Amino acid sequence: MTARVGGVITSVALVAFAGIYVRALMFTPIERFQGPAQKIFYVHAPMAWAALLAFAVTGILSLLYLIMRDRKLDTIAAASAEVGVAFAVVMLTTGPLWGKPVWGTWWSWDARLTSTLFIFLLFVGYQVLRGALHDPEIRARFAAVMGVMALVLVPFIHVTVYWFRTLHPEPVLMKPERPSLPGVMLVTLLSSVAVCTLLYVGFLLMRYSLAVLRDIREEEIVDGVS
Amino acid sequence: MEYPDNGAYMVAAYVVAAVVIVGYAASLFYRIRKAAKR
Repeated sequence: MTARVGGVITSVALVAFAGIYVRALMFTPIERFQGPAQKIFYVHAPMAWAALLAFAVTGILSLLYLIMRDRKLDTIAAASAEVGVAFAVVMLTTGPLWGKPVWGTWWSWDARLTSTLFIFLLFVGYQVLRGALHDPEIRARFAAVMGVMALVLVPFIHVTVYWFRTLHPEPVLMKPERPSLPGVMLVTLLSSVAVCTLLYVGFLLMRYSLAVLRDIREEEIVDGVS
Repeated sequence: MEYPDNGAYMVAAYVVAAVVIVGYAASLFYRIRKAAKR
């Protein structure tokens, strides 16, 4: 049932994602100084939002798992972590593709970019850790500790642009003042954020049902052996 | 109006994003189907 709902949400979100491409490429004006490369923003920023949302969900559920020891929390945390890695791959590839024409460099080892790469590598390590441990209890506990550690990084990444000197621009949406974007660009950005959030929900439901199906299969094998 | 000529970066970014997202969605659909068949 969860897989079916997840599949429907993902399918709808993929169609909407194609719609975002059409709106961003054909119906959103080109920024005067940055040129067409500025339109990478409509993909890069929402993907970064979805990645950090996924990592935050993993961290919070990991913390709850350590308190409540509910296996379901660990399963959802693991699903969210994998989905977050997929979004982070897009964030970390589209970022340099925007940086090169606008900043003149693919990458800068400043606080924002380095901490973002660090959280991505941390969650790649999270997947490796889960794959290496076979005891479900130990796997859940170790992964939860790692998830909680990574949770600290999420707000830190947000504030790096204020606390450190960095090439990365300050947020245009998540700040105390009004968004600093013309209306038509803002609508494209907000629509893309909404679609990426929907994609996250669809992916999470699908990945969670996959984990449940695998757990059922594992239990059947164990029952068959004993 | 004159703009910087950097459209190729935009195309590359949009292609990469589509490949990763559609590829991940396809992998989820495939893995669920395979797990459900067993």
